[in-house]
Amino acid sequence: MTMKTHLFRTVVFSSLILLTLSACRKESTVDKFDNPNSRTCTSYAIQFETVWQGMDQGYVFWADDTVDWDERYRTFKPVFEAFDTMPYVSMAAYQAAYDGLFQGLLDHHLMGIFFAPGKNGRFAVVNPGSNDYSHPTYSGAELERELQVLRSRADLIDYVGFDATIDPNTSMSLPGTYFALLKGKRAGEKIAYFRFTDFSLSNMCYNRYNLYYKISALAPIKAFYGTDDASGMTPYGYANDESVVGIIIDLRGNPGGKTDDLAPFIGSLSQSINLVGYTRVKDGFGRLDYSPWAEYWVNCPSRHLLQPKPIVALVDINSGSCAELSTLLIKGLPNGTVIGERTYGAAGALLSNSNYSHDLFYSGCMGTQELYEDYGNYAYLGYPELLRIFNSQYHNVFPFYIYTSTFNLVDKDFNQVEGVGVQPDIEVLYNRNRLWNDNVDVQFERAISFIKNGR
Amino acid sequence: MKKQHLSALLLASFLLLMPLALQAQETASADQEAPAATQPSKHFSFGVLGGLDRNYHIIDMSYMDAYSYTPFAPGKSYGLQLGYSPWKWLTFRLDGVMLDKNYYRDHTLTNYGGFYPDTTTNQYLNVPLVIMLNVGNTVRLHLFGGVYGGYWLSSHRKGRTMAVFGSPEYDVDVDLDSPLSQRRDNRKDFGYTYGAGLSAIFAKMIELGVEIRWYYGIYDIQKEYMTNLNPRYNTTMVLQAGLNFWL
Repeated sequence: MTMKTHLFRTVVFSSLILLTLSACRKESTVDKFDNPNSRTCTSYAIQFETVWQGMDQGYVFWADDTVDWDERYRTFKPVFEAFDTMPYVSMAAYQAAYDGLFQGLLDHHLMGIFFAPGKNGRFAVVNPGSNDYSHPTYSGAELERELQVLRSRADLIDYVGFDATIDPNTSMSLPGTYFALLKGKRAGEKIAYFRFTDFSLSNMCYNRYNLYYKISALAPIKAFYGTDDASGMTPYGYANDESVVGIIIDLRGNPGGKTDDLAPFIGSLSQSINLVGYTRVKDGFGRLDYSPWAEYWVNCPSRHLLQPKPIVALVDINSGSCAELSTLLIKGLPNGTVIGERTYGAAGALLSNSNYSHDLFYSGCMGTQELYEDYGNYAYLGYPELLRIFNSQYHNVFPFYIYTSTFNLVDKDFNQVEGVGVQPDIEVLYNRNRLWNDNVDVQFERAISFIKNGR
Repeated sequence: MKKQHLSALLLASFLLLMPLALQAQETASADQEAPAATQPSKHFSFGVLGGLDRNYHIIDMSYMDAYSYTPFAPGKSYGLQLGYSPWKWLTFRLDGVMLDKNYYRDHTLTNYGGFYPDTTTNQYLNVPLVIMLNVGNTVRLHLFGGVYGGYWLSSHRKGRTMAVFGSPEYDVDVDLDSPLSQRRDNRKDFGYTYGAGLSAIFAKMIELGVEIRWYYGIYDIQKEYMTNLNPRYNTTMVLQAGLNFWL
C-alpha cells in the first residue's frame, strides 16, 4: 500500500468518526421550573418565572393570540427581579406588573390570582378580558330591572319566577329561572319566554329538595319545558304548546356554568343533535402543539320534539361561556335567530381544578387550587376574612392560581369565537337610559317584534 | 437506546473493524490470484432497496406523566440507490428513499375515560450520501457513514382526543401547508447516517445485500418559533434489503 493510499483512507475514516462525534442536538429546558401546580414559589422572581412558563406551555390560544409572550418575558422579568431587592413593594406596583404581563391576552375566561407574602394577605387579580365590557359589569341590577319591566308589560299573560334576584349581602345575582307568557300578534297566539341566571339548572333540578332551588328555579323550568327533572323537552310545557308561536331564550347577563345543562335545556330546543363547532386542546409543551379538531355536538335528549317555531336567543356582551355555546347552537338552527349584542367571547370550556387540568393536559387551569377555592368564597367570606385566611396559609410563599381555558372552540366555519364572541343576527345595543328611565327594554322589544312580524 | 449509545456503538464498530478491514483489503489487493469473477469489476452501480424501519421520537416529557411515547414505532422504507466505486474497497453511495418516521403516544386519563392513543405517521424523502468501506470478495461486509438531507412530505394522525363532550376519534391528514404548520413544523431534515451491511455478488454484476442503518436527525422537527422550545428529534433504524447492478 502506498503512502498516498494510506493517507487517503485515514482521512476518510477520521471524517466518519468526527461526523459521529459532532452529532449535536439541543437539550430540552422545558422542565426548568417543573410543574406549576407543584412548584413552591419563594420569591417574586420565581413566581414570575413559574407563571410565565405555565402560560407558555399551558395556554390554549397561542395559535391566534397576538401577544408576544417572549417579549413579555424580557420586559417583566427585570421588574419582578427588582421586587426581590426592594425593601418594600407596593401592591399597586405588584398589580401593575401582572396587569402588564397579561394585558391583551385572548382568553376571556382568563383570571389570575397572585399572592404577595408580607402584605397581610393581599393579592393581585388580573382578568384581561374584562376590559372589553361595553356597559357596566352585570351585577344583578340590570336583571332585576329587566324583569321589573317585563312584569309591568300590558301583554303579559303569565309570569313564573322568584322575585328576589339579588343577594342583599353581595349585590350579586342569585341563581334563578324566570318564565313568562306574552300575547302574540293574533288573538290566541302566545310567546313563551324563558330566562335563567346561570348554567346551574341541572344542579338545581337534581337538588330539588333544596328549598331555595325549589322556590327560585323549578317552577319556571317546569312551566317552560313541562318537566323539572333536567331530561329535556316534553309535550306538557308551554314551549311545546300549540298556541305558542315563538320562543325567547334570554341569555343576557348569563355568565355560563356547567356544560351539563346544554343538552337538556338548549339542545332540546332543536329537533336533532347539533354540530355547534369544533374544539381542540394543547397537545405538547410547544405553543403551537395542538390536537386535531374534534367535532362538538350537543345532544337533543327530548322525549318530545319541539314543534318548529321561531326561537330567539337574546344575548348581550355579558353572555359568556355556556351562554355563548347556546347562542352558537340556536344561531345554527333553521328557526333560530340571535338578537342583541355580540357575546363576551369566552367560549373555551375548561376544567377548573388544576389538579385535573394542567397535570393531565397541556392546557388549562394551573397553580394552587386552594387559593382559587378560597377566592371563590370571597363573596360569602367577606374581604377581611379572606385576607386573614390568605395570610395564615400563605404568609411565607408566593402561590398563584390561573383560571384559563382547557379547550379552544371555533364555530362550524372554524371562525375563532374566543375574544370575538358570537355576532347577533340582529344587533340591538343595550340602552340604559330607556331601560331605567322609560321602562323600555329595547332588546326584548326587538325580540317580540321579530316573532310577531317574522323580521 | 439513547443517542449517545448509538454514537458510541458506531464509533466502536469503526475502531474495531477498521484494522481488520484494512488488513483484509491489503491481502486481497496483494493476492493476484483472487477469483476476479466474483468481484464487481465496474465502477458504477444502481439498484433498488426496501425494508422496515423503527423510529424513535426523541422528546422530553418532563412532568407530563400522563403522556408517554412508545419507543420504536414501526414503518417502512423504500427507494433507489446509486454507487460509485473508485476502488473495490470503497464506494460512494447516494440513495433516495421514502422513509416513515412514525411515533405512538399514549395519554392515560383515569378520570376522563381512560386511554387516549395517538399514532402519527410521517413520510419523509431522505437522500443519504455515505462513504462505504467494503471488505471481502464474493461475500462482502460493508461499513458506512455519512450525512443525509431530507424533506417532510406528509403526516397523518389517528387516535382519540379529549373534547368538551365525549372523546371522539380522529383519522386525519395533517396539512403541512397550513398557516399553523408553516409556523411550527420544520420540514427540512438533516442528520447523520451510518450502519453496516452484508452482500453477495452473482455473475459479476448483480449484488444482493442487506443492511442495518441509522438515521440520526440533528434538525429539530419544529421551527424555532418560541424561546422555550422543547426540541424534538427523530432517530430511525432501518433494516433493508437491496438489489444492485454494476455497470
